[in-house]
Order: sequence, then C-alpha cells, then structure tokens
Amino acid sequence: MDLKAFEQRIESGGRLTADEALQLYRHAPTYWLGRMADGVRRRRHPEGLVTYIIDRNVNYTNVCVARCNFCAFYREVGHGDGYVLGFDEIARKIEETQALGGIQLLLQGGHNPDLPIAWYEDLFRSVKQRFPDFKLHALSPPEVLHLSRMSKLPVPEVISRLIAAGLDSIPGGGAEILVDRVRKLLNCFNKASADEWLEVMRHAHRAGLRTTATMMYGTVETDEERIEHMARLRAVQDETGGFTAFIAWSYQPEHTERGGVEATGIEYLRTLAISRLFLDNFDNMQASWVTQGGKVGQLSLAFGANDMGSVMIEENVVRAAGASYCMDEVEIVRNAEDAGFVAKRRNMHYDILGGPFFREHAVPRTLELSTAREAGDNSVPAELVNYPARSAAGKRQRSQPPASPVA
Amino acid sequence: MNINLAIADRARAGEALTPAELDELASADVLSLGMLADEVRRARVGDVVTFVRVEEISGPPSRPEAATARSRHSSPEISRAEADASGASGATGAGEVRICQMPATLSETIALVEQVKAGAGSCLVTGFSLADIVDRSWGDLAEVLTQLKRAGLDAMVEAPLDRLADAGAVLQACQDAGLKVGCLSLQKPGGVERTPMLIQVRALAARFPWLTTIAPLSREQSVTVPTTGYDDVRAVAMARLALPGVPNVQVDWSQYGPKLAQVALTFGANDLDRVSVVNDESLGRRRSSVEDVMRNITAAGFQPRERNTGA
Ligand code: SF4
Repeated sequence: MDLKAFEQRIESGGRLTADEALQLYRHAPTYWLGRMADGVRRRRHPEGLVTYIIDRNVNYTNVCVARCNFCAFYREVGHGDGYVLGFDEIARKIEETQALGGIQLLLQGGHNPDLPIAWYEDLFRSVKQRFPDFKLHALSPPEVLHLSRMSKLPVPEVISRLIAAGLDSIPGGGAEILVDRVRKLLNCFNKASADEWLEVMRHAHRAGLRTTATMMYGTVETDEERIEHMARLRAVQDETGGFTAFIAWSYQPEHTERGGVEATGIEYLRTLAISRLFLDNFDNMQASWVTQGGKVGQLSLAFGANDMGSVMIEENVVRAAGASYCMDEVEIVRNAEDAGFVAKRRNMHYDILGGPFFREHAVPRTLELSTAREAGDNSVPAELVNYPARSAAGKRQRSQPPASPVA
Repeated sequence: MNINLAIADRARAGEALTPAELDELASADVLSLGMLADEVRRARVGDVVTFVRVEEISGPPSRPEAATARSRHSSPEISRAEADASGASGATGAGEVRICQMPATLSETIALVEQVKAGAGSCLVTGFSLADIVDRSWGDLAEVLTQLKRAGLDAMVEAPLDRLADAGAVLQACQDAGLKVGCLSLQKPGGVERTPMLIQVRALAARFPWLTTIAPLSREQSVTVPTTGYDDVRAVAMARLALPGVPNVQVDWSQYGPKLAQVALTFGANDLDRVSVVNDESLGRRRSSVEDVMRNITAAGFQPRERNTGA
C-alpha cells in the first residue's frame, strides 16, 4: 500500500474509491489514519472550533413492533414496562431543557401501533404552540416509514404533514448498516430496507429538511459492508447535500437478544477516521462520547471529529444496552478546550449560537443523564384516549379510565 | 508532524531527556506524541502486552482455606470454573492475590497476611500502598516491612510518589526488608508536576533497578472534573519517553476501563493491571473477562501475555 500516494491525494482533496477506503481501513496504521483525518478536519474547519448542541434525547415511547435484535430499549405491545409520554410530560422536559440552554428535542421512539399520525401532529403542534422557537429534530426514517404504512399515506405526504405540524429536521437513526444482508440478520430489514431508509432521507431533503446520517457498526457486518454503508450515504449526499453530519457508534450488546461483544475503542477511532476521509462531502463528524465515554470521546477530536454532539440531558436507548456515560455542557466544553479548541454552541444546522451557556447563566452540574421516566411510573397520559389504538392491548387500555392521569 | 525532531531522536535513542526537552515534548500534538511513544515502546519492549489477573481481598477471610474467596465477588465456584477454563495457573487463575485494605494495627495486618498466604497456594501475595504503611507510623519502617515479608507478603502493591515525602528512604527500607514494590504510582490527579515527577522516577529507577514499572495515571479521579482522554494518553506517552530505564508503563484495566486502557496501549503502555479473575457485574461486563482483555490487546495490534507479579 502506497501511503505516500494516498497522503498526496487526500491532502489535495482527491476522492477515495470504496476499494481504496477499504484497503486503508483494514491496513493503514491507526496513527496514519488519525493524522490524515485530522488534516482533513483542519482544512474543512480551519477556525479551530469544536461545536456541540444543547438538546435532550427524548424517547416518546418504548413500545415497538419492529423487534430489532440489537435493541435493548423496546418493549412489546402490552408489556408492563411499556410507556408513552404525555404531552405535558414532554412539555416539562422542554422547560427543563430550556433552563439548561437547550434549544431542541431529539425525539425518537419505538414503532408503536397505537400512536396514529394524528398523535404526532398534535404533539408537534402543542410543542410549537407552547414553545414557538423550540426545535423538533424528530422521527428517524424508519419511524416516518412506520407512519406511512400505518396511515397508508405516501412518505412525502407524511413528511409534509409533519412539517406542517412543526417538524424541523430528521435524525439519522435507524440506519444501522445500510446493507440488506445485514439488516435481515439484525431483524431490521422490515422496519426499513437500505433503499427505503435512503429514500426517506431523499424525500426529507427535497422537502427542505436537513438531516443527519448515522452508522451503528460492530454486529454482523463485514468491513466491506461498513464502507458500502458510507458509500451509499456519500452518493445521496452528492445528490441532495441534505446531510449535516455523520455519526458512527458501536453496537452496545448488553441486555439485547443478539448479545455479543462491543467493538473496541481503537476500532471506533479507526472507523471515525476513515469516515472523515471517505465521506468527503460531509462537513461534520460527531464524536460518540455516549458510547465511547468522555475520554475516547475527546480523543475523537484528534481522529477527524469536529463536533462533540449533544449534551443530551436524557438518554434511554444506549443506557438500556449497558453504557451510561454522562457529559454535561461544562464537561463537553472543558474537553474541547483541553484538546486545544474553542467550544461553541450550535443548532442542528451547525449555525454557531454562541459560547458556553453555563458561562453566562447559573446552571447546575449534571453528573448523570435523566431517563424517560422515574422507575415505577406507569402512568398513562390522559390524551391517549383521543387516539384510536390498533392493538388489542392498546384498545383495552384506552377503554379504561387512566389509572393515574398526568396532571 | 508537530514535534521537535532532535528531541524525538534522543528519545528514540533512549537518552535521558532534560526537563526542558520533556516540557517541549509534552506540548507536541497528541498524535505525534503518541506515534513517537508507540515507536519507542515497540523498540524497547516489543509488541507484547502483559496483563495480570488479580484476586482482591478487602478484609480478613474467616478461615485460611477461604482466603482466596473474594469478598467482592459473590461466587467463588463460578470464578474457579472460569479460571480453569481460561487455562491460568492456580486455584482461581489469579496471577496475584492482592490485599486491598489494611487493618488498624500491625499485628492484625500481619495476621491477615499470614491468613491470605496460607490460602494463596503458589500465588504471589501482594498488598498495601507504601504511603499507607508510612502513615500508620508503626515504628521503624524497615522493621515493619520485614515483619510483613516474614508473614508472607511478596511485594507491596505500590509506592505513590505524591504521598511519599522521601520516596528514596521508603524504597530503601523496602529493599532492606527484601520486599519488592509493584509499581511507582500517583494517588491524586494533578497532585504533582509531571516533569519533576518523571525526573524523580528516573533517579529512583537508577538507584533501585528492581523498580521496573510506573503507573502514570492517578489512582483517584474527580467525579466532577475527571482527567481527560488527552491528559491520560499524554501522561502515558511521557512516561514511556522520559523513562528509558523503566521498561513497564502500566494502566489499571478496572479503573480506566477497556476503551481508555486499550488506547493507552498505543501511546506507549505495555502492561494492564488489575484484571478481575471473575466476571464482576458491578464493574460492568465489559470490564471483566480475560477474553475481553485479550480481544482489546489484539485489536490494538499487540500480543497478549498473561503474567504474574514476579514476571
Ligand atoms: S431499534 Fe427502534 S425500531 Fe428497532 S426495536 Fe428498538 S425501538 Fe424498535
């Protein structure tokens, strides 16, 4: 492998083919990958900033019929631990988020057959009514597809209805690996094939929404399939330019049906670096501190990342699978500055909003991320009776008065 | 590469860098520093990463034969089966039985060491921080250490430099008592200036050639302001580059976790301490099994080799 030739090409802005990326991913020394990725990041972001967003990861329901075998978060329909958050609960979370300087919710959830599209529209409208400037970065492509299938509406119509109700952007969740062989093995092909996931993103971009793109690696895929995943994203980005950022994270195996082990930290840094080199049309690479921890999260900044992602405030999905790292704004800023960067708050579009919020406001430290609900809270939101359920369990529940309605 | 090439060459040649050179090296970008440390480490100790499985004893066992039943682990039977399956030697597979807590008096401490030794079989018995022993003021230090040695203690776990006012004298007492010390360590993050500490270690290693290991990452971490990843890997790399006479740079696997510990291996570390002999769920599954340690070492491009304390 002629690393010098690759060096020259990368430094002059030349594009890597999928085969070349695979060769480098497999064989290039880790430090070489890091140096090259760091160089690309510096050329793309010469101002020396590391950005982050203050938002909250809210999972509105954990009830899901998709049953992906890598997921430790979902509960089957009718399960005692299944929940749907109420509009007031979500409003309270927004108030708490705003107090910490937060500007948006990352709102994702299970494929709950008992939540029709009208529930989402009403939720979005109620949020926008109460918090007009607050942003909704919501519903990954498989959730959009789920709504399309349930409502029998084409995807573009679902997206335009959600935009009308208040949707601002779409998170890149549910991509896992965009190769159908892998998706079938992970039991997530039915929730969205690779083509379907990408097609939802194309529709979203055409509708004027910006989205992120993700990759969950470390299950059953080969190295070739990781690169194929990136190649497919790169092709859509060439077409639409609608992705704002790429976020890779390692599969978290605990408490999942699939089990197994987690890919190592070095593998994460190599994957991040190759994505920076191969995804030459993506501006932003996020560090996944939530799966790698703060220390390797910070080291990501030397391997191609220019963004520390989200303060999160709340997290349920990765925690369910065994990882429970926490970085509040103070920690994110300290880590960015310690690595020699200037830390700036941003929005989902990567517009700079300003310096650290905590330097201008009294904000309490957060040493542990919140969860969707307190343990033992099985309350059923009062407004759910307004929406027809499809499942037998949902119908039964809605025919009874709520046991402990949300105030 | 943002690094002073002349200093890098001196580090490669195993020369003793001056404090000014160490300071300049420490300010290099983290990737250049890591790459140099990795190169120096491979030249000095090859691509083997050693690790030790440690059976931790935190209190007096109720009877001698139970001495190796960990107080922190609920099922000795499971641990034994796992240890046997992994092919390690000894009843539990541990390379070392380590006494983690020190009783209030010297006689209780001696009794505890005797009990643990009786149950440890051929396994090495280690225990205690030298700083804790000094703090107890149980009398002449060399005499105290001699009594512990006679009771069956094979080595002290560590000598934390930021807690020892006169590390040279304390290590001399150890030498006089015939007791080795597992590693030179640091108790608190930021407790000492890095460069003077490295110079001190260099002098101590020259005086006591049996000191072969430094653990440059502090034993304590602040909950609110933990050291960063950059801090940690820089500390590891600088230990490797500043101490040509200290072959082993060690990271605590249980404390620092697989992610940071693995990355540290590529920044010059070559030894992992405190791998549990059992799957300890309280640490999280990912911090426990030997398979996980070996997988992480191999994935970082090194060869795993299990050791005991004496190796
Ligand atoms: S990953 Fe999402 S779609 Fe799959 S089971 Fe979990 S909640 Fe459902």
